[in-house]
Amino acid sequence: MRILIVEDEKSLAEEIALFLRNEQYSCDIAFNGRDASEELAANLYDFVLLDIGLPDYNGLDLIKEAKNYNSEAYFIVITARGELDDKLKGFNSGADDYLAKPFSILELHSRIQAITRRKFGQSSSIIKFGSFALDISKLQLLHQETPVNLTKKEYDLLSYLVLNKGRVLDRLQLVEHIWGSFYEDDFDSNYIDVHIKNIRKKLGEFDQSNYIKTVRGLGYKFEDA
Amino acid sequence: MLIKPIKLKNKISIINALTKVLIIVISVFLIPWIVNRVSIKDLDNQLIENLDKTYSLVEQYGIEEFIKQGGDQQAFGSYNIFKEEYISIEKVTDTTLYEEIDYSRRTIEGETFDYRVISATIESQGSYYLIEIGKSINSILAFQRLIRKFTFYFLLVLMAVTILFELAITQYLLRPFGKIIERLKSSNHPKNFNYTPVKTSTADFKDLEENIHGLMRKIESAFNEERDYISNISHELLTPISIIKTKLDNFLNTTELTDEETEKIIESKVTLGRLTKMVRTLLLLSRIDNEEYLLADRVNLNELLAGLGTDFQEHFEQKNQEFELKLPDQQVEIQGNRELLHILFFNLANNAIKYTPDGGRISVHLNLEKDIPVVVIQDNGIGIEEKNLPFIFTRFKKFQESGNNFGLGLALVKKICDYQHFSIEVYSKPMEGTRFVIRCK
Repeated sequence: MRILIVEDEKSLAEEIALFLRNEQYSCDIAFNGRDASEELAANLYDFVLLDIGLPDYNGLDLIKEAKNYNSEAYFIVITARGELDDKLKGFNSGADDYLAKPFSILELHSRIQAITRRKFGQSSSIIKFGSFALDISKLQLLHQETPVNLTKKEYDLLSYLVLNKGRVLDRLQLVEHIWGSFYEDDFDSNYIDVHIKNIRKKLGEFDQSNYIKTVRGLGYKFEDA
Repeated sequence: MLIKPIKLKNKISIINALTKVLIIVISVFLIPWIVNRVSIKDLDNQLIENLDKTYSLVEQYGIEEFIKQGGDQQAFGSYNIFKEEYISIEKVTDTTLYEEIDYSRRTIEGETFDYRVISATIESQGSYYLIEIGKSINSILAFQRLIRKFTFYFLLVLMAVTILFELAITQYLLRPFGKIIERLKSSNHPKNFNYTPVKTSTADFKDLEENIHGLMRKIESAFNEERDYISNISHELLTPISIIKTKLDNFLNTTELTDEETEKIIESKVTLGRLTKMVRTLLLLSRIDNEEYLLADRVNLNELLAGLGTDFQEHFEQKNQEFELKLPDQQVEIQGNRELLHILFFNLANNAIKYTPDGGRISVHLNLEKDIPVVVIQDNGIGIEEKNLPFIFTRFKKFQESGNNFGLGLALVKKICDYQHFSIEVYSKPMEGTRFVIRCK
């Protein structure tokens, strides 16, 4: 997996790259539109992480331009403006996904994974644990071919935990994942416990293993038993 | 005293009409007066001529000839048949010699005549005589009256015609002015201003328009600058927040930490989250101020409000609260911005849940009052003290009972209601609950 990070804020770009390299992605960084344009013409990328507010380039123009060389690449647009107009424009001009600053890198990671798995077809879009199979492309959980009846929020939470297997996700990250950015924290984030309880109960009907571990009041962690 | 402002074209018409009335009044008096002066002058010349003739007759025949004709009265007088002229000579005791012309009114055989009279005294053989020659001015006065009447009617017609004409002309001339004003009135925001030039050949209007356009462009660019400024500020603030957040995430991921350390980092992330929310809410408030949201969606209120039940399902479950939703049978659609409307009701519901203890009850009702959709969101929570009620929509107002809430949520609710032209009322009693009533006019 090769990823190009286009972000004029060096510290942020490097921090994202650090994380992604840890996850075994190959990362290039461009700090401005001109460099990004050159990189896109020279290399093939699977993902382009693009901050739309570049000082020297209109981010949306860059997508159009890049599509000539990297027609297969997925464009994840990052914006600090959070404007719906920009979001729509982004989708029209070929952006595949959208993240508002400040986003969680785990959120970014799970989106990259979901897209990757879908991109590489049937087998890789299914993640197995115990006797369960999480189908990323059909957005459902199966237990030996039988769909498990999860609500949308429950499915979103479970898949987020599964895609970040072995990692502690705090409540805030889980709330953000379900709610997006705006409503994140005026809320009592403890309500996440209700969902986890319900998911556990639903999984428990099929399998007694404890997949979702509580990490002492900090958050939750998915572990393949 | 307050006088209601009058439109320019009406003012011009009123002034024109007043001037015309003045001209009529003056003309009606002045023209007959001039005619009168001219006629009288002519008459005077005739009288002087007649006096000269009389002098020469007196010289030729002697004054006694005239006096004799008058009999024993020591005076002579003669009228012509229609009493238009007369002459009289009489002996007087006054010895001053003079000549003068004046008006005189005589009543002869029951009829009144106005005369112009020339009088002169002469001296003849030690005696003094007064000669008077008079000419009737009745015909002149009649003519004067006629002229006056004629002038009056003529000018009246002329005035009516010219007033109508001028009314049309001013209307036509001032039309570009009206258009310029109309455009100013109809654009509530400089970005909606119509810059196409108004057709006019009047230099003043062109000047006015150019100046207005100049000002409008300045305001527009100020607005744009402000928008850029806000967008920059948010970018400037959200990017560093994003860096800190990513660093904290990375730190949590890659470092072996004790639970206590992890907890501290998560606490920092929660604080960062609060900061993010404030920046985003301020950004949203300014963007509403800038009218960046279009009110172009048809929003189904039934669906939107029913969605609150799903949105907050886990909250109700966790706090063991009862959620009551009452919707009318018919589907209620309103015009507005879907995103803003969602935030509006979401915030109110969130507020209700937050300030209602476990086991409480939150109800959302949608009614139609005379075709106006009315949304009532009610809880039986801790309520708001009466002294705080006037301030609940004020930004950053902090109350004892609201804990660490900075009060941007309700400020946003009010802002959205204003933007959508909704009215919002709040009724609350401490320990009994709060009720928000929103009329979607």
